[in-house]
Amino acid sequence: MEIELRLSGGITVVGIRGSVDGLTADDLMRTLSARVSEGAVRLVADCSALDYTSSAGLRSLLGAVKLARQHGGDLRLAAIQPPVLRVLDLSGFTGILKYYPDVEAAVVSFAEPA
Amino acid sequence: MTAAIATVVHAGTPENLPRFLHFIEATCARIEADADTKYALHLAMEEVCTNLIVHGYRGEAAGPIEVAVYDECEKVTIVIRDRAPPFDPVHAPSPDLTSDVEHRPAGGLGLYLVKKVMDEVDYVPDTPSGNVLTLVKRKS
Repeated sequence: MEIELRLSGGITVVGIRGSVDGLTADDLMRTLSARVSEGAVRLVADCSALDYTSSAGLRSLLGAVKLARQHGGDLRLAAIQPPVLRVLDLSGFTGILKYYPDVEAAVVSFAEPA
Repeated sequence: MTAAIATVVHAGTPENLPRFLHFIEATCARIEADADTKYALHLAMEEVCTNLIVHGYRGEAAGPIEVAVYDECEKVTIVIRDRAPPFDPVHAPSPDLTSDVEHRPAGGLGLYLVKKVMDEVDYVPDTPSGNVLTLVKRKS
């Protein structure tokens, strides 16, 4: 798994490439937690290059969303690939997380009224 | 059933999880599994082996996890044998899928996902060769 961070209009975009599984999920959680603790509480996960996730990945995503929301922000997902979206849907995560077709839409969503 | 096309056995320790995942990746490549089958098999292998390592053997003189893959015309079958205390995933309670983010528990999804992505799941505990979990994925 590779993680790439960038800023887009004050929103932290976290590009996740590869697999988030039992071997890499903790790294993702650490990266996201560190950003939130530094004050970057509005995050978008660019999932366009995320090709696999398991329950471990779901746990780290859920943990990051909880943390961001506790600090007044959110972690929103963008460009989720179909196999990963299926896992999110099976787990009921599509009903509790916000996700968008692309990064731009996810970034813009933070400007919309809650 | 035809003979297994690939088998592996390792101790059920955390250090061996990558070995089980590499095994299923290599096996999927060998049988030219389609994307859906590959994802399901990889997910099943990760979730089952992780559960055996973390909850079954718990790092205490971990016993073996033996995996055999059978490739047939219309389906791929994975048979996983272990000697940990039996745990029946077929009848395990379903996880919480409806609570909001604040109240949603972090765990409990692994075996549930396995039962969703695989077409058949069967478990027989305490056989002479250990607990036997059989997972079937029908090909697209």
